[in-house]
Amino acid sequence: MEASIKQHLEEIVGPENYTDDLIDLIAYSKDASEHKHRPEAAVWPIDTNQVSEILKLATKERFPVVPRGAGTSLAGLAVPQQGGVILDMARMDKILEITIEDRLAVVQSGVVYADLERALAPDGFFFPPDPASGAVCTLGGNVATNAGGIKGAKYGTTKDYVLALEVVLPDGRILHTGSKCMKSVSGYDLTKLFVGSEGTLGVVTEITLKINPKPPLTSTSMATFEDLEDAGRAISEIMYSGILPSSLEVVDQQTLQAINENTDMGLPEVEALLVAETDGYTREETEFQMAKITKVFEKNNATSIRRSENEKEAEALWAARKSAYGVAARINNNLFVEDLSIPMSKVPEMLRAISDLAKKYDLKIPTVGHAGDGNLHPVISFDGTNSDEVKRVEKATKELFEKVIDLGGTLTGEHGIGLAKAPFMHLEHDDISMDVMRSIKRLFDPNNILNPGKMGLEE
Amino acid sequence: MEASYGFANKFRDQVLRCSSCGFCRAICPLFGLTKRPAFNARGKMLVLREVMDGSIDLNDELIETLFQCTTCAGCAEQCPSGVNVPDIIKQVRKDMVFVGSCHPVFIGMNQILQEHTNIYGESEPEDFERERNRSAQYVYFIGCVGSYREDEPTMATLDLLDHFDVDYTLIDEVCCSGVLDDVGYQINKDLAQKNIDLVLATGAKTVITGCPFCSRTFNNKTQYDRLKKEKVKVIHISQFLKDFDPGVKTDKLVTYHDPCDLGRHCGIYEEPREIIRKIAPNFVEMRHNRANALCCGAGGGVRGAYPKTSIAMARRRLEEVGEIGAEVLLTECNSCVHNLDNAKLRAQKLEFCTTSQFINQLL
Repeated sequence: MEASIKQHLEEIVGPENYTDDLIDLIAYSKDASEHKHRPEAAVWPIDTNQVSEILKLATKERFPVVPRGAGTSLAGLAVPQQGGVILDMARMDKILEITIEDRLAVVQSGVVYADLERALAPDGFFFPPDPASGAVCTLGGNVATNAGGIKGAKYGTTKDYVLALEVVLPDGRILHTGSKCMKSVSGYDLTKLFVGSEGTLGVVTEITLKINPKPPLTSTSMATFEDLEDAGRAISEIMYSGILPSSLEVVDQQTLQAINENTDMGLPEVEALLVAETDGYTREETEFQMAKITKVFEKNNATSIRRSENEKEAEALWAARKSAYGVAARINNNLFVEDLSIPMSKVPEMLRAISDLAKKYDLKIPTVGHAGDGNLHPVISFDGTNSDEVKRVEKATKELFEKVIDLGGTLTGEHGIGLAKAPFMHLEHDDISMDVMRSIKRLFDPNNILNPGKMGLEE
Repeated sequence: MEASYGFANKFRDQVLRCSSCGFCRAICPLFGLTKRPAFNARGKMLVLREVMDGSIDLNDELIETLFQCTTCAGCAEQCPSGVNVPDIIKQVRKDMVFVGSCHPVFIGMNQILQEHTNIYGESEPEDFERERNRSAQYVYFIGCVGSYREDEPTMATLDLLDHFDVDYTLIDEVCCSGVLDDVGYQINKDLAQKNIDLVLATGAKTVITGCPFCSRTFNNKTQYDRLKKEKVKVIHISQFLKDFDPGVKTDKLVTYHDPCDLGRHCGIYEEPREIIRKIAPNFVEMRHNRANALCCGAGGGVRGAYPKTSIAMARRRLEEVGEIGAEVLLTECNSCVHNLDNAKLRAQKLEFCTTSQFINQLL
């Protein structure tokens, strides 16, 4: 980092909130994806004005700035591909306001998802997206990626809860979008433009979230299917049965095999396993919904159906789904946790295609997913030191996304484009669409200083 | 070119297996305090990966992250890939010492234990007015912290053992020297030998330790294998006390801090709670408990090398006691007692001691 820029940054955030130590540059070179590049420095701003001053300096001196939450991105969103300065938002971690009367929470962007969950719990409220990394990920990161999770089918994703934002623009101006009202159609929806913008348009410093009352009770069931198509029909029928499960998750055969090879869980190695959860305020309510779901399971030839009588049994039914990532993470050195969405009715066809790709390229691609909203996560587990295997992974990935688009799907349901999906943007978005996106980027960030190289925006 | 370090030979696969998911941020006490990703396990593994592929060398620039770790294993508990971070850190510290890059405080610790028989380099241990080195059913092994820094918990434990008519003896113990293995050196064989000889001379078949770290060292380190061969069992005081009923009770709201050395490292979570429940019906858990307990910040040599950070970590742990409004905080490790006590603010109205001390007060 140039000495004069370093001096300015230290003046803005204080020397204790600036680093260019080797250990920090290495720690910031990677997120949870396989992408890697060192920044030249990192800063921990503690308020919005500091963020503004940093971006003014970056615009003047033309250095890249990469905002970062917990760095749990699976698509390289937080990797400083062109160097520059990491803007680590972790020290802006205050919950500023929780107003139950207005059903909203105002937080700084560095607040950890689980900390907000804990703060809302005493009032019986929650912020529903429930990403798998909830124990560590930040709400700013959730906004930047439009994060989702296992409750998507019933509760939607981050975008459904963001009412207003404070955003620092690349030129340092501080923009306030949205309002604290549940309904507002006042002007363009600038709030939504920033949700999922991957830190390419501005730096989110404050978030106003709509919060939901949390139904205290749940019922859980698990069903196994010898035939993938039966499971697929069951998923569709559940989703148009009038019942909205709070979760409907699918675990495929390759995952069940991988779990069995690496644990003593002894799961049935069927073509698909579904886990459904219903929520509500009375036992009658959750059980009524679950009864309808299990009827659909039966009708579609489920080979076994188990219902939980209590929390402990529910945990056992969730075990297969929840251990999938850990098992995949242990079976090899490298991991692509892919993310795709297809129309719900296409889930079986997509799972079949993934299984065929695994065979064709001699790979392990255990797949789990949020069947209730058609969002699947094929996990390609491989050895990055084996160049032949890496080539097969690359080919399989390309074919995977071609198939996704063929089925009317989308490249990503909740992880974002970042670096990992940038090469595939043209598969889904035509020239007009890319041109409009690039125009928006230029409007906000004409000098391309914010998280450059992401989303396939550079021509 | 790949450098050949001990950690790379032993743990290459584990370092590579870290998928950089970042889940280790959740309960790393150092990350929680500093919010600096270079300090949590992911940051450390990324640094080691670069050392393994030859991009950087093991040198002084890496001391701040590789020596600043309490080896509490909170990260390992969260890790989906099953990376055993504390073992890797302990090995890489040995490699650092080998190449001449070591935290000066750790160099000092090693020197002290070459010249003295306790980690504080003190000449006179506290006399606990008990017989030493006699034939008995049990040996009570105090440990350095309990002997030289926290004599009240030790005295209370000894009083309690007397109350229960336990046939025990103290010995002229010396430091178990397990800490050296954590900070880049080797367990001092002479010290180990002396402890073993003294234990065996008493004819005792069970050693009860006041310190969970000493207990771990005796049970797991090869230098103490002779105890196993001679069929001498080593247990921690909490494992011993769980079978007794003190017959006293408190109405106060009590909570318990799991020491890393007893909990995550030995899997002993329930025994201490068993006895606490007998005496404190109003028992409440802290937000982070058992395998997810937050470290007090003292372990892995951090209290000696980074005292301010260590105290600040302890203060975060005490904040969790405040959250649940507990009046009494109990724990089972003198090192935790020492660090948490140093961190306690005067304004914080909290009784804080070991379970033995608390029972003793009630008696």
